[in-house]
Amino acid sequence: MSSDDILLTVEDLSVVYEPDGADPTFAVENVSFELRRGEFVGLVGESGSGKSTLGFALTRLSKPPARISHGTILFDGTDIASIDAEHLREQRQGGFAMVLQSGMNALNPVRTIRNHFFDVFTAHGHVSRERREERARELIGKVELPAATLDRFPGELSGGMRQRVSIALALSLEPQLMVFDEPTTALDVLVQHAVMNTIRDLQASEGFTAVLISHDLGIVLEATERVLVMHEGVIVEDGPSSEILNAPTADYTRMLLSHYADPRAEVVSLPGFEDRAIRRQAGASRSAVASPEHAPTVVTRSISTAQESIVVEHVSKTYPPPRRGEQPVRAVRDVSFTLEPGQSLALVGQSGSGKSTIAKMITGVEKPSEGSIRFGGLDVAKLRRGQLRDLHRNVQMVFQDPYAALNPLHTVEYTLTRPVVNFTGLKGRDARQRVLELLETVGLAPVEQFAAKLPHELSGGQRQRVVIARALACDPQVIIADEPVSMLDVSLRAGVLALLEDLREKWGVSLLYITHDLLSARLITGNIMVLHDGAVVERGETAEVLQRPTDDYTVALLEAVPNPQRTRR
Amino acid sequence: MTYALRKVGLLILTLWAAITLNFFLPRLMPGSPTDAAIAKLSQNGPVTAATRKAIEIQLGVPDGNLLSQYGQYLKQVLTLDFGVSYTFYPQPVADLVGQALPYTLILVGFVTIVAFVLGTLLGVLAAWKRGTWLDALPTLGGSFASAFPYFWTALLLLFFLGYVFKIFPTSGAYGVTNVPGFSGAFIGSALNHAVLPAVTILITSLGGWILGMRNTMISTLGDDYVTFAEANGLKPHTVAIRYAARNAILPNLTSFGLALGGVVGGSVLVETVFGYPGIGYLLLKAVTNQDYPLMQALFLMITVSVLLANFIVDILYGVLDPRTRK
Amino acid sequence: MTTTPITAGTPAPPPDTSVAAAASPLQVLARVAATVWSNTKARIGVVILLLFVLAAIFAPLLAPYDPSSTEFARSQDASAGHWLGTTAAGEDVLSQLIQGARISVFVGFVAGLLSTLVAVLIGLSWGYVRGWVGDVINFVVNLFLVVPGLPLMIVIAAYLQNGGIGMIILVVVITGWAWGARVLRSQTQSLRGRDFVTAAVFSGERPARIVFREILPNMTSLIVGNFFGAATSAILAEAGLEFLGLGDPSTVSWGTMLFWAQNSNALLTGQWALLFAPGLCIALLATSLTLINFGVDGLSNPRLRERRKVRK
Repeated sequence: MSSDDILLTVEDLSVVYEPDGADPTFAVENVSFELRRGEFVGLVGESGSGKSTLGFALTRLSKPPARISHGTILFDGTDIASIDAEHLREQRQGGFAMVLQSGMNALNPVRTIRNHFFDVFTAHGHVSRERREERARELIGKVELPAATLDRFPGELSGGMRQRVSIALALSLEPQLMVFDEPTTALDVLVQHAVMNTIRDLQASEGFTAVLISHDLGIVLEATERVLVMHEGVIVEDGPSSEILNAPTADYTRMLLSHYADPRAEVVSLPGFEDRAIRRQAGASRSAVASPEHAPTVVTRSISTAQESIVVEHVSKTYPPPRRGEQPVRAVRDVSFTLEPGQSLALVGQSGSGKSTIAKMITGVEKPSEGSIRFGGLDVAKLRRGQLRDLHRNVQMVFQDPYAALNPLHTVEYTLTRPVVNFTGLKGRDARQRVLELLETVGLAPVEQFAAKLPHELSGGQRQRVVIARALACDPQVIIADEPVSMLDVSLRAGVLALLEDLREKWGVSLLYITHDLLSARLITGNIMVLHDGAVVERGETAEVLQRPTDDYTVALLEAVPNPQRTRR
Repeated sequence: MTYALRKVGLLILTLWAAITLNFFLPRLMPGSPTDAAIAKLSQNGPVTAATRKAIEIQLGVPDGNLLSQYGQYLKQVLTLDFGVSYTFYPQPVADLVGQALPYTLILVGFVTIVAFVLGTLLGVLAAWKRGTWLDALPTLGGSFASAFPYFWTALLLLFFLGYVFKIFPTSGAYGVTNVPGFSGAFIGSALNHAVLPAVTILITSLGGWILGMRNTMISTLGDDYVTFAEANGLKPHTVAIRYAARNAILPNLTSFGLALGGVVGGSVLVETVFGYPGIGYLLLKAVTNQDYPLMQALFLMITVSVLLANFIVDILYGVLDPRTRK
Repeated sequence: MTTTPITAGTPAPPPDTSVAAAASPLQVLARVAATVWSNTKARIGVVILLLFVLAAIFAPLLAPYDPSSTEFARSQDASAGHWLGTTAAGEDVLSQLIQGARISVFVGFVAGLLSTLVAVLIGLSWGYVRGWVGDVINFVVNLFLVVPGLPLMIVIAAYLQNGGIGMIILVVVITGWAWGARVLRSQTQSLRGRDFVTAAVFSGERPARIVFREILPNMTSLIVGNFFGAATSAILAEAGLEFLGLGDPSTVSWGTMLFWAQNSNALLTGQWALLFAPGLCIALLATSLTLINFGVDGLSNPRLRERRKVRK
């Protein structure tokens, strides 16, 4: 490796956060590494690891309260950590570019895509006036978009298209280094897959050095040749992808890797989680796990198991057209299924497939346009607002975002006491006793301490356990879980999933599990329905469907699952 | 296009509501405005039956048929027939309003637009140079000046520049020797008389625009498209104007429309202090003389003007925001 | 924005992390007060406001003379006996000024409170209803927003001859609630879309409890901001109406002082103190409320918070 090969040298870099009224914290601490020209490097870590902060520092985009407090970033021989604003700006053409996580919001809503390109050309003067239209078309073609896209405003494009436009814009700088900050996180599974492919192809054809920042080790290992693993502001592992995959040295990397599996495999196993098929054969229950964050402690209680089924018959949901002159939106088309007492059913599909609409209709939030939904003796579609309480006594919901699902001003105890008081009639000391039991059930011990906490004092995984505890408060027969782990860090997912699984087994609650994540569906559900454009395209036993899919859409979903084990190229 | 049509529909509906509000206002009040008005009018001589009828339609009779009064009232409004004023007996109300309207429209309209443009520019500058004196000075100065009561600013200017230093005339819209018309002398005199009222409105309304624009601009400066524009190395002024300010102006335009009512209200006070013969000054004359027909017509006129101005702002918004064109 | 440890949307944690009980409205208010106090501009505002409130409370003790006594020589300039001179009717200006603080502070407080109350009630229920009722409220609120407030006040005041302070407060509330209702409505709508509100429905909560225990406490900063904003415009409107002679001219307030000053040609006689002092008091009081709102703004929009140190 000659020194000419080195594009970027980071030495002893620290980035400090100095928020108002709080003590400064180091998001990145004394990080050093080098990037060779043409390399495709992944930067992996969970939320709060400092990976994005590092990415922003590499492109000198750190804004208050973040500040580069120490160290150098030698880019092509210049220390960009200390150059002045105008030189920095000039460096960006032919230097370093960044594609943001929220690519959907990275475009100016009042300017056409063409003007976005022209703004870049004008700022750096590297494309002459006569050639700029031609160049813009060329660039938009590189990200596989039609030239007509140039006439559009950002609001008229889909999320995936907008992210492609941002990539093309970053590319228009002809950069030597491109930093992609979670470029596909906000996108749908299938779109994610396609955008990642475009990025990979572009890196190969244009030959820029690329840094891919992601929380998803699977995506990174699939795409990159070298990986930096970050944990609490420090790079804990730096090595070729194949070595990280086969012989990781850091415990943290090993832990991250252990949470990946192929949903198509015969046996699927995660930490603290055995495949239900195996377990059924062995006739044994899953053993408890060591760490308390992962441990689901279900207290065995003698309560009634689910007795009623949810019967969905020929249900369709049509929304009025979003704008005049357009077609009405058919979110759900003629879906029928029965959720038997104690059964676990996965509803999978990407966003817009209608899976969340079905959940809303079952819980009475939305009314079906056609068809009927029954729960025991209740005709859900005909319930009036006031009668929904009768339904919620038995059908409860676990929400996707644990940060939004808890009122930031209420303590855990208040949040849990409300359904207990409303549905069980317990009061005072009895209600409190019940709340503490619930906390124990979801593994939040010491219970007294957790009862007194406010949401912001809890981690994401702990919050989601509180959300689950709240859903359990009224001894429901059915729990509908809408993407309950998609907002959690990978290492926390298994614990929450295991808790849901245990509740179903030991409490006999029926579970409708809504997700785009096939691996988690494989882990905790017995049956599966694949939804595409509002219609069921495939259904059956989960293991069977995932191992031997018959529908093209199911195959495409399975293909899109990031999997480190899969051989690349 | 549907956006514009929707706005036209809304305008018509709002106009109707404002006219109706104007109809019910005197009828909801305790006592009988009609009796008071007729008593006042009879001081000028005998009141004819026709005049009496017209006043009843405008102000109501205690036990009359509301629906038929409403129909006749609408007809009066649509034909701009507001009866006669008894402050300026026997001049028709419509003529009085017509004479006063141009002064207010030109003064308030012009100054408001200047204040909005200037305030917006200063707000952009303040947000862009956040934390420097270019931010502190307009922000603090603006919030202090906008807390000044309109009439007090007017009194101070009048006292110092009118009475003490005698730089500007103290009252009226043009000199006593001038005859209204398109002569240089008249226009010069009119402009000279308009300076103090204009400066008053400017001082008191500028601060609001500065603060509003500064705050929305600070928000847009934190938006992703601004960060991305910086990452792409766009020139600072492009980022500031075409990205941050261009988006920040949209919510501010809406506030502009809604704040117009306040500015027009303030101009009533300003005109009163300077004896400027516009709508506001006339309104106060009508109020102090309990000239209800004139007062009703003036209030309607002010409301309709503000509604029309808001409509124009809405249309402008539609032009500036591509998202409304869908 | 770079990634921050706290998810967008969650309010910044209060400095004291050992809070145990459910957050009571008082605690939320205390947090509001602490954040406001940390802003320099707001702190100046609080100090000025406190001075005026104290002056209003202790006016009879502070005023050197009876404010409505006409026993002194007329239209006197400032002197040792009368620091700010006397009025054309022979009253002591300083005593009137101190007495006038009472009216302004009172009107600001009561009218601000009442119009905030109306705004909260309408804003919350409006944000919670669906369908045509919401459209109707929307139309009415928009109408009240665009109909010019002061002319409407003048017209109403003209019909209710010399109604005094009560009338002025009523008129200010009628014309002043719409803005707050609109702001609170949009906040209610965005909050009711949050999962924790849906979750409360699933917990079997009744609508009233959801509105008052789940949604309302999350809007404390907006409501406080709305109160100060409404109080500011109430003070200015009250002064404006009285200056036009539409209040009760016999009460002693800053507005009536200016009304009499203009009617007695204080401009011509050059009695600048009579003109200057009441207006300055109105402006200072209004400014103090505006300054406090700088701090309150930072609560609901963290981007507007003051940066302690600015680095290049």
